[in-house]
Amino acid sequence: MQQPLESRLTAIRIALTAVLTAVVVVFTLIVRVPTPIKGYISLCDVVITFSAFLFGPWVAAIAGGVGTGIADLIGGYAQWAPLSFIIHGLQGLLIALIARSKAGKDAKLLLMILAGVIGMLVMTGGYYLAGGFLYGFEAALVEIPLNLMQSGVGVILGIAVSKAVLKAYPPVRALAQ
Amino acid sequence: MTTSTFIAGKGVLYRTDARAKLLALILLCVLVFLPVSTGGIWILFGMAWVLAYHATGFRQAMQPVKSILFMLIIMTLFTPFTYREGTVVLQLGSHLMLTREALENLSILMARFLSITYLCTLYVWTTPMADINLALRWYGLSYRAALVLTLAFRFIPFIADSFAMIQDSHALRTSAIHAGKKTWKRKIADVVPTVTAALVFALKSIPYLAMSLEHRGLGRLQKRTSFRHLPARGGFLFTQMVVSVMIPTVLWVLFT
Repeated sequence: MQQPLESRLTAIRIALTAVLTAVVVVFTLIVRVPTPIKGYISLCDVVITFSAFLFGPWVAAIAGGVGTGIADLIGGYAQWAPLSFIIHGLQGLLIALIARSKAGKDAKLLLMILAGVIGMLVMTGGYYLAGGFLYGFEAALVEIPLNLMQSGVGVILGIAVSKAVLKAYPPVRALAQ
Repeated sequence: MTTSTFIAGKGVLYRTDARAKLLALILLCVLVFLPVSTGGIWILFGMAWVLAYHATGFRQAMQPVKSILFMLIIMTLFTPFTYREGTVVLQLGSHLMLTREALENLSILMARFLSITYLCTLYVWTTPMADINLALRWYGLSYRAALVLTLAFRFIPFIADSFAMIQDSHALRTSAIHAGKKTWKRKIADVVPTVTAALVFALKSIPYLAMSLEHRGLGRLQKRTSFRHLPARGGFLFTQMVVSVMIPTVLWVLFT
């Protein structure tokens, strides 16, 4: 029996959100790039930016928020889970809303960069505020450079990866509709 | 990759219902931000640590401190230097090093941060992830949102394993192309093909997952039934909910 169109869209949307959420978790916990100051940055922002550019605000918000929240729970930072859910959810939502505001389905490069920069500010500012309430605004200042670096790399790689995925796997456009 | 945060142990927290614990956790996290005495927050942290110690042993109970140790050191270094007024505790020559107000502020911030860390960690250590999902459902999380959570947990190990394989095969390719020491920019550029391949691999699984969901009846008009239910552990749920509200209330009255 043929399923109605709405039902098929629901199934694809749920599958898309769940898989991207899992990818965010993996990219947060496993995929790490070493930095010049002997630390590591995670690539969760790459997936959030990529999801926002290709799949829109709700998928990006849920995958970004829930994915980073789960990563915090699994990674032993349970106290950060609700905060990450809000901050990265908002980051994904805003990036998608700005990047797709004028370009229809496909985001244009300038808007993508602008959206990415706003996403960087939301993420860095959000964690600064959250850190300020948790352990004081003075100590929270320490995290700003690393968060800016992580979200900046996320935006650059997010744009590059979005273009690359569209070339490597054109059916992704059908999933984005 | 292990996705479970549950640690087998003993104690009252293992016998308490996930919904009641969640309510108590939220109320206790709110409590530490209310105008209560610093000693009260330290007592709350002490109680949480004793529960963690009783449930999982000393080694495991110290894990949350290890995970936030860096931030505790940063707090100790930065906070005293930002409070320059009040009763002097330590002065080196003409340089004011520490005031009583700075120490009090540092104490509040540390007690609050440690308490929240231990309360949240205790919840995920003593509650299986499936129970947390069902507890969230009980509090109003939609069926679809809960389904997304469940599916995401199922897919995490699969995607992690696939990513490891993709990373290994790309490592062989890039080492042949860029022999010698890699710069930081080169390392980031090398990530793009690996990340792209991993994303394409994950995206290709979506149509199959969607088809499986359709075959299981997702999207049909009839109301869906739940296969799993959360039974109230250790007695009546109502009683446990009342106790979960009473504990933070009593602590608030005692510590203000």
